[in-house]
Amino acid sequence: MEAIEAIMSRRSIRKYSDKKIPEEIITKLLKAAMNAPSAHNRQPWHFIVVDDRETLNKVPEYHQYSKMLENASHAIVVLGDNEVQTSDFWIHDCSAATENILIAANALGLGAVWLGVHPHETLIEGTKKLFNIPAHVTPLGIISLGYPEETRPPRENYNPERIHRNKW
Amino acid sequence: MKTILGRRSIRKFTGETIPDEDVKKLLEAAMAAPSACNQQPWHFVVVRDKKTHGAIMDIQPYTKMLEKSSVAILVCADPDLQTCPGFWVQDTSAATENLLLAVHAMGYGATWCGIYPNDEKVWQIRELLGLPKQVMPLNVIAIGVPDEEKPPSDRYKEERIHHEKW
Repeated sequence: MEAIEAIMSRRSIRKYSDKKIPEEIITKLLKAAMNAPSAHNRQPWHFIVVDDRETLNKVPEYHQYSKMLENASHAIVVLGDNEVQTSDFWIHDCSAATENILIAANALGLGAVWLGVHPHETLIEGTKKLFNIPAHVTPLGIISLGYPEETRPPRENYNPERIHRNKW
Repeated sequence: MKTILGRRSIRKFTGETIPDEDVKKLLEAAMAAPSACNQQPWHFVVVRDKKTHGAIMDIQPYTKMLEKSSVAILVCADPDLQTCPGFWVQDTSAATENLLLAVHAMGYGATWCGIYPNDEKVWQIRELLGLPKQVMPLNVIAIGVPDEEKPPSDRYKEERIHHEKW
């Protein structure tokens, strides 16, 4: 799929088939993620790849919007190392990496949805506990992935009122 | 995939103009980003005026490449538009990444220059561009016709991947 098409047709997909995503495809998603830009090229990201059904089912116990993980093939937890990037830029960096995963997933025929964790304290704590995350690392979000069992048409989000020329 | 893997920060531009229709396509890509609760809190200030580019360079020295750029786009958020508070930085970062990928796909080049969370730079940009007081400029994206070619970078690091748990 061509890049602009992949960007414009991306939707949040929450219904998946039973088909498992092969590891080579997961690797492609991670390559996409790690090619995001980052402040001073510090690349503060880490990723936890999860396909264990028991673990995936534990997330909805503390994250109320994550029920789709019970049917997902994989989840990828996107994290920032606060020692590699001490300022809040890690949030911008890891968000860009997450967006690369979402676009790549769409281009490769997968369905995905970005589940927010940071900045909600209870979600951060729950995620850190479940995944054994060290103290100096913060989870940004969890991406649910699978082969889509729903299709959603491209949105029309373009809003000319949000565009200002030269000044506000 | 090629576009994602081939994207680099481009800082040397020819000075040629990017037509308005292409700038529109970039903004369409940006606004196609996901956002928490689909809140779409973004605003974009599109600056072609060279004097304003100069003023931005004074505020943020990392934007020296604006000199030969065709356009600067400041990706901003109005936090009052949030229905799910706390996510505007992630939303506008996702929109920015879409914009950078679209830039590369269309054969242009760009660099992401951070403004937020530096309070002073945020304030100065707000003053310069007349942003309403609650509006937050996340960054300045300098965009132009590339005068340099950078090969795809290989930033893939196995040690950043953990399976099942950390």
